[in-house]
Amino acid sequence: MKKNLFLKVLVGLIFLTAVSAIVSTSLVNSNYVASIIIIVSILKFIGVSFYFMELKKAHVFWKSSILFFVMIFAIITIIML
Amino acid sequence: MSENTIDTKNIYYPPGGILMWIIIFLELFTFGMALIAMVIYGKNEPVVFHNSRLLLNTTYGTINTIFLITSGFFMAQSVVSLKKVNSKRSSSYLKLTMLGGLLFLAMKSLEYYDKIEAGLTVGYNTFFTFYWMLTLFHVIHVIIGLVILGSVFVGLKNKKSTTSFEDVEASAAFWHMCDLIWLLLFPIIYLIF
Repeated sequence: MKKNLFLKVLVGLIFLTAVSAIVSTSLVNSNYVASIIIIVSILKFIGVSFYFMELKKAHVFWKSSILFFVMIFAIITIIML
Repeated sequence: MSENTIDTKNIYYPPGGILMWIIIFLELFTFGMALIAMVIYGKNEPVVFHNSRLLLNTTYGTINTIFLITSGFFMAQSVVSLKKVNSKRSSSYLKLTMLGGLLFLAMKSLEYYDKIEAGLTVGYNTFFTFYWMLTLFHVIHVIIGLVILGSVFVGLKNKKSTTSFEDVEASAAFWHMCDLIWLLLFPIIYLIF
């Protein structure tokens, strides 16, 4: 059961990686595209931390801490672009 | 090795242990601040950063991302197998995890060789200063992660070993941290400029 879930997450992560790489080569030098790439990376980050690292089962403090970090990082990066 | 009985819902016992998570957050903050600094420098020198980014091979970066993500998948499987007290299967998954890490390093070496051959070294421009410092610092983490996984692998193979489930879980958390750092590095260095 868990193996299937991990496999689905893996396929999703590889798909998102391919999408961001393709998008970056087809539509270069646009802040809008760069923001999408950052958002896709944040989704991948959440996928790895919540499923592979099993943070989903951890105390709410750890879940909210990692979400807080990644959101702040994404917001600052997108503003600075 | 006994079955895991840790309650990960307890604030003091996140998966991998509280000390490992303190390290993970420190590392994420360090890399995060360096990456934000890179974005700020990129805003000041947009042409230099854009042209330099085009000198990188996105395919190398994408394949390396897939290697690390797949390696993380096998690491997660290894921990699940160990929870079910199946050391043999856990060791097999651990081998695949290490293979992913080694492939990452092989690909990175190839990329570094290309860059050095082309004269794109650390002092070439601001972009490449960030490129070398951030990616090399990450590579050091991957190498340390592989050493840790290697010692865990030996521990799992040795029946007299004192390697516990908590040790394996902490090692897994460190390995996943390498994934997390790379997931922040990859878009900023290889894609957005």
